[in-house]
Amino acid sequence: MVQINLPKNSEVQKGEYYKDKTGSKNIRKVNIYRWDPSSGENPRIDTYEVDMDNCPSKVLDLLNKIKNEIDPSIAYRRSCAHGVCGSCAMNMDGKNGLACTKSHSEIKGDINIYPLPHLKVEKDLIGDLSTLYKQYHSVEPWLKNSKKDDGKENLQSTEDRAKLDGLYECIMCACCSTACPSYWWNGDKYLGPAVLLQAYRWIMDSRDEERKERLKKVADELKLYRCHTIMNCTNACPKGLNPAKAIASIKKMLATS
Amino acid sequence: MKNDNPLSPHIQIYNWHISSLVSISHRITGIINIIIITLICVWVSLLVLGNSNYDLIQKFFETYFGKFFIVGTIWSFSFQALCEIRHIFWDLGYGFEIKTSNITGLLVIFGSFILTILIFGRNIIL
Repeated sequence: MVQINLPKNSEVQKGEYYKDKTGSKNIRKVNIYRWDPSSGENPRIDTYEVDMDNCPSKVLDLLNKIKNEIDPSIAYRRSCAHGVCGSCAMNMDGKNGLACTKSHSEIKGDINIYPLPHLKVEKDLIGDLSTLYKQYHSVEPWLKNSKKDDGKENLQSTEDRAKLDGLYECIMCACCSTACPSYWWNGDKYLGPAVLLQAYRWIMDSRDEERKERLKKVADELKLYRCHTIMNCTNACPKGLNPAKAIASIKKMLATS
Repeated sequence: MKNDNPLSPHIQIYNWHISSLVSISHRITGIINIIIITLICVWVSLLVLGNSNYDLIQKFFETYFGKFFIVGTIWSFSFQALCEIRHIFWDLGYGFEIKTSNITGLLVIFGSFILTILIFGRNIIL
């Protein structure tokens, strides 16, 4: 259901202000969403003054600097720092992306950092993605093939392999799904761009033998057709993929088959 | 298990893109158009019922609010029509690149105003 306002326990309050102690002249204000599950209080926005002269270029570097030098209590997911693992997906400057690939110099004014939108918050910048993973599981993202294992490679032509370009690169960071208003309002039923892109990836795989069953499975008023081509997903994808196009391709396949 | 954790902010903080703006306007104009079509049906029915009704409605259309109503109607239908054309191309599988969708989105926005001027102002222009 469409619910524009946040529930009462989610309303964001003003938090603490951490003044710069280094005496640097190159200071930027960073506003970060904080929520501590043990406090029982509402979420708050803490503001940090950060010395930008001694800060590397990405938003993740900025977060690391704050965690290391100003406030060690801040929690966020991160791992590879090279845009491969998808752990540090968050909302920066009103747009979803990976903190490790987003330069803070691209952001004008104060830097606002929130968790991925419309998720249950676990702590600070960490959102609960278990619904998304369950949905991912529901599209059965593995090869279904009746061929007996004869110890040889399962070959695919260059052309068939090329059909997976723009699909296999997805790192499941959930930037697209949590950018989608349809997914916000119907996240329990609508599969969302990330999962549908994955569904399409398996539908398109020439080695997979269950294309028809897969198509039949996603052909659902809520699972698939809640996509209204808002295109927030494609705008958000940090890997430059196009979930909107993948969803449209599924729709087209269903309409023409 | 019930999860009482707070919900992270969504529409309050998310930036608007051209595509999302056109999409929500498409929905809103769709609803407005249904109301307007109903009103047009009522209008036509009233005309069938007699001459005096015609004068009354004519008077309404001559007021500023009436004129605004007409311009709004033309804009709303123009916007809807252009959006639907955009959707036909999407359904055929074209125009999903960010750049293309931004251009077509802007074409829809500006095109709807140009169409409004052309349709409403045709007597003034010609």
